[in-house]
Amino acid sequence: MPIISADLVHAGGMPSAGELQSKLLAGATLLAETADHLIEVVDVLKSYGEVLDAYSTNLIFQAEQQFLLPFPLFKYLDGERSPAKIWRHLNHDRINFEYAEYCMKAMLWHGTGGLDAYLDSEAFAAGCAAIIRRKTRRDPLLALLHPLFPGFLIELIRTAATTHALGQFWRVMSDLFLDLARAETSRHVTSIEAVVEFIKDGLVAAAANPISYGVEVAGEHLWVLPPEAGLTFLGDVAVPYVEAVFLRGLPFLGTVSFNAQAQQISPDQAQFAYGALYADPLPTMGAGIPPSLLMQDMYRHLPERLHAWYLERTRGDGDVRVKICMSFQKAMFCVTNAAIQGTFPGPLSSKDPAEQAANRAYAAAWAARLAVARTDCLA
Amino acid sequence: MLSLLLLIPFGGALLLALWPGNPAQGRMRTITLVVLGLQLAWSLVVLARFDPGNSAMQLQESLGWVGSLGLDYRLGIDGLSLPLVLINGALTLVSAICTRDIDKRPRFYFALLMVISGAVNGAFLAENLLLFFLFYELELIPLWALISIWGGTNRAYAATKFLIFTAVSGMLILGAFLGLALFTGNADFSLAPITSEQLSMGSQLLLLGALLIGFGIKIPLFPFHNWLPDAHTQASTPVSVLLAGVLLKLGTYGLLRFCLGLFPEAWVQLAPALAIWAAISVLFGSLAAIAQKDMKRMVAYSSVGHMGYILLASAAATPVAMLGAVFQMVSHGLISALLFLLVGIVYRKTGTRDLAVLHGLLNPERGLPFTGSLMILGVMASAGMPGMAGFISEFLVFRGSISAFPLATLLSMVGSGLTAVYFLLLVNRAFFGRLAVTAITDPVVHGRLDVNLAAVAPRETIPAMALAIGVVVIGLLPAGLGRLSETAATAMVQLPALTAALHGVALPSGGLG
Repeated sequence: MPIISADLVHAGGMPSAGELQSKLLAGATLLAETADHLIEVVDVLKSYGEVLDAYSTNLIFQAEQQFLLPFPLFKYLDGERSPAKIWRHLNHDRINFEYAEYCMKAMLWHGTGGLDAYLDSEAFAAGCAAIIRRKTRRDPLLALLHPLFPGFLIELIRTAATTHALGQFWRVMSDLFLDLARAETSRHVTSIEAVVEFIKDGLVAAAANPISYGVEVAGEHLWVLPPEAGLTFLGDVAVPYVEAVFLRGLPFLGTVSFNAQAQQISPDQAQFAYGALYADPLPTMGAGIPPSLLMQDMYRHLPERLHAWYLERTRGDGDVRVKICMSFQKAMFCVTNAAIQGTFPGPLSSKDPAEQAANRAYAAAWAARLAVARTDCLA
Repeated sequence: MLSLLLLIPFGGALLLALWPGNPAQGRMRTITLVVLGLQLAWSLVVLARFDPGNSAMQLQESLGWVGSLGLDYRLGIDGLSLPLVLINGALTLVSAICTRDIDKRPRFYFALLMVISGAVNGAFLAENLLLFFLFYELELIPLWALISIWGGTNRAYAATKFLIFTAVSGMLILGAFLGLALFTGNADFSLAPITSEQLSMGSQLLLLGALLIGFGIKIPLFPFHNWLPDAHTQASTPVSVLLAGVLLKLGTYGLLRFCLGLFPEAWVQLAPALAIWAAISVLFGSLAAIAQKDMKRMVAYSSVGHMGYILLASAAATPVAMLGAVFQMVSHGLISALLFLLVGIVYRKTGTRDLAVLHGLLNPERGLPFTGSLMILGVMASAGMPGMAGFISEFLVFRGSISAFPLATLLSMVGSGLTAVYFLLLVNRAFFGRLAVTAITDPVVHGRLDVNLAAVAPRETIPAMALAIGVVVIGLLPAGLGRLSETAATAMVQLPALTAALHGVALPSGGLG
């Protein structure tokens, strides 16, 4: 069998869904408590934080400064068009901003949560109409395009809104992960349990942050996601992001084959399991969302301690991206762990049978999804 | 001058045997590399002094030895033997370079390598039938020892099988040489085709038949191939490189030099049957290769198929076909050595050559991507992709043979297509897909596919890279080798009886110009 089909490389089953549910209900960490895991998780999140900082800056720049540009040739340059920066870009001495866009598109396509609901609302359509009206007055190409394809510019505005929202989300996450690294350096965080707690606290603290987005069109400020829409960090962006990027993801063709006719790809989008928690750390040389782009970016920002740790293992720098991906998945399990802990229907210590049942059902639903993820890295 | 090509390796072997004390393995390897490097350098000096326009034997040396037996020490070189001497020099050096960590008796191992190299040079250079036979037999025991001492778990069986087959081959060849002397009454054992013309056709066919079977075993051709896959499977990588790259060429060299060269009239009679035999050998080798699950056996069976092209070309005996035969000997030497080297690397890193177990070795991070890339180049060359050595040789063989034996040539061309089939199977199974070294029978393997293979150090791929460069250079610039061998190839088919009987009229000269 030359090409290994998708169902063969799905990890999972170790540990079982039951074990995962018990750990979640007991408030225990999914990732085993070891010194190596602490180094991997904290340092990989530090490099991820630095990469997210760049992604976030660029996504916000794109949404604000490249808004409805028909040919956004310089969208990855963050407004700096010096010959040196262009050369570095062409020479690929840069961050792979494409990965951030893939994540945005995954969010847009899976479309869950409050943000997506707002993008389909009448209030959003009215806002779009105002923006398009003003924009087409000065832009003949858009003026021509809009009557021909009435849905096109609206879809571009939806894309820009998701881009900006993801940029805002990653701004918070970047700061959180860099704070975590500082906390670990200052010995305030010394265990995986403390890491999960730290992330949970950060998510809870930012949960109600408002998400809004406005653009300048011909000198006038117009809202795309107005504050009145009441969109917030956790429920409307973070949860859809986790759903789209951690869990569902997008299947991509590579050396792993997917046969849609054989129902290897579920017709139900909600059943997709191609996200970061399910990704095969080995590069599969396919199109779509290659996690290797993110790994490459994290490699550029790898802390010295973790780099030295990698150099002592397997092929040293030769397979460093695979090892980064494995560490990244451990870190993402910690983030997921924190998110689940922070969103239980009731306190885990509750004696109320109704709350206990709700918590059990919530944990069981998560455990069922995680049981087929790359949980082999948790031991 | 030519004697140095014998003295250097034999002297090296003696030096190693007499080296005082118990030198470290590294030092013995260095001595061997220096000696074999000298041998290759001297082969290049011979190349520089060689006159490609002269079809006769050149740089001849002779010394009366046991004249009463007809055994004279007489050496010479022409456009047929020179490329093979060069290949021998290069591949013996490659096999010494890729020899690492000999666990037992390294002194004996390296000495045997040099003895084999010297004996092969002797066989290619000998201008006396008995001298050729001596050298032909001289490489037999060292090779048997190399397989039976440093081979795989079933090495005793494979080595004994090799010994029996090759001993029979040697007996038949000696019998034919003695028979020629007996029937003609001329016991000087020199390379003179004219002597066979005194014989009746029956006697010629008898002697030629013995030689054909003798060399057919060595080449090997179907149905005498049985020893080869076992020998390759059990031999270590350097020995497989030597076996495929150099030693099989003794058989094809014998076919051209002695079968065609000594018995041109009988050869004409047998040529149609030989062409069919060639086609059968090509098809059998290719079909058997398709059925293999062991990478090394697959490459071994591909040799059976590809050696058939040389029989086809020599049966057609046109100048272009003969040039194709020389090209095929050189290109098969390089390509099969390259493939065996790469299979050796895969085996060393994964512990298996099983195509049902290996997957995705091209993986850029954890697999063997450079080895895989060279493997793809090697199999493309073997399948006759333009731009590489295999294409030139196969094209010349087919172009030169199709007018004489259209059916056999067309069947052999099918075999060439089948080469692409089995080698793409090999590449597809072992190198494409998700990296794993696991037999995938379980419907859900739960991430157990992950494997940590040691990386291939750049120095491990240097010999393979050198061979790959050779394959591409010959493919892109074939004129050099063509010029070297064209005159000899043309001269070989201009034996009057042969040309007249085969074609009725003089053939236009062909080649690469």
